[in-house]
Amino acid sequence: MPGWQKFYHDLNNKNFEIISIAQDTGGAKAAAPWITAANPEYTALVDDKHLVTQLYGMVNVPTAVWINEKGQIVRPNEVAYVDNRFKQFTNIDALPYLDAIKDWVEKGDRSQFVMKEHEVKERLKAPSPDRATADAEFGMGEYLHNTGKAEDAIPHFKEAQRLDPDNWNYKRQAWALTDSEKNYNTTFMKEVQKLNGKPYYAPRTLPETKKP
Amino acid sequence: MLRILIYAAFAVLLIAGVASAAEERNSVVYDGVSTEVTASVDNGKNLWISMDDLKRSTHFVVKPQGVCRDELCFPLPAKRQADFISKRGDVTWFNLTAFAALVKQPVIRDEKNAVWFFGKRVDERGTYLASLEAPNFSLPDLNGKMHSLADYRGKKVLLITWASW
Repeated sequence: MPGWQKFYHDLNNKNFEIISIAQDTGGAKAAAPWITAANPEYTALVDDKHLVTQLYGMVNVPTAVWINEKGQIVRPNEVAYVDNRFKQFTNIDALPYLDAIKDWVEKGDRSQFVMKEHEVKERLKAPSPDRATADAEFGMGEYLHNTGKAEDAIPHFKEAQRLDPDNWNYKRQAWALTDSEKNYNTTFMKEVQKLNGKPYYAPRTLPETKKP
Repeated sequence: MLRILIYAAFAVLLIAGVASAAEERNSVVYDGVSTEVTASVDNGKNLWISMDDLKRSTHFVVKPQGVCRDELCFPLPAKRQADFISKRGDVTWFNLTAFAALVKQPVIRDEKNAVWFFGKRVDERGTYLASLEAPNFSLPDLNGKMHSLADYRGKKVLLITWASW
């Protein structure tokens, strides 16, 4: 987050806003230390019901979406790191993506990194009925967890994970709320090891920067 | 004589059992808001609630043109009205789970805690597919102040989700 603050501050563009949204069932209590430490000049919000995860069909964090001045999606869900501290695990280089954002901020819809409508449509998937049910199971789990029924929430979190198996948010959030070894018989590290070569994040495809 | 008494006692218990199982306090979570309702559950799957509870918990009301909230109305299939609306004595009951099936809305029941969680209707999902319009939302900052995506119309927005976990 301090990285995004520096990026935003240095860009210094009144026509550009960053909205960062914590996907945390634990709410402000979980997110506040990170936000306060970064002291952002941009907008930092707290989403304790994973609404944005569900509205945008996200499966992981950090995920970013580019939205233009008319409120349209011009680059849908993509992994978005501001630095390379996890590059050895993720194989994702942050710098080309940051350069792409700068190009967009400067050139707007004329930027080569803004996707054409048909490209955006190709990437956007209709939420499947299973995903819709997974969202509702996860919502039930959150409701029970936040009304003092943490143990009863677990079968619902497990069902959400079963229905949407590629959704890391639903796995990691549920594991974070309890003793994951005891209640889910696994840990984040174990699950990552099981990937066995399959990428953790969907690969990002940026057009090659055109020569001037 | 004893047998008659036993049968009578059994009948009373049966009726009492049915009557007490017929209406129970349940929680309906709809659009993220929880409301206590008096529920009548049949077959373990059908959630019947009163018209008052329907309005309180979902803001939907039954009108001649269908089940409506503001300008949005869902007509009920003409031949299957009884699946959705049932008058028992003074009270008119509405089958909220049948309505959910009609509008393709997932319903999750937690029987132990007497909670029914209603997910998004099919018309609420994937709204961006045709228009590419980024779905709007309203969420609080750390000071509790609400911000909507719509507030930032006219600016480029980089929306980034992250998590403490």
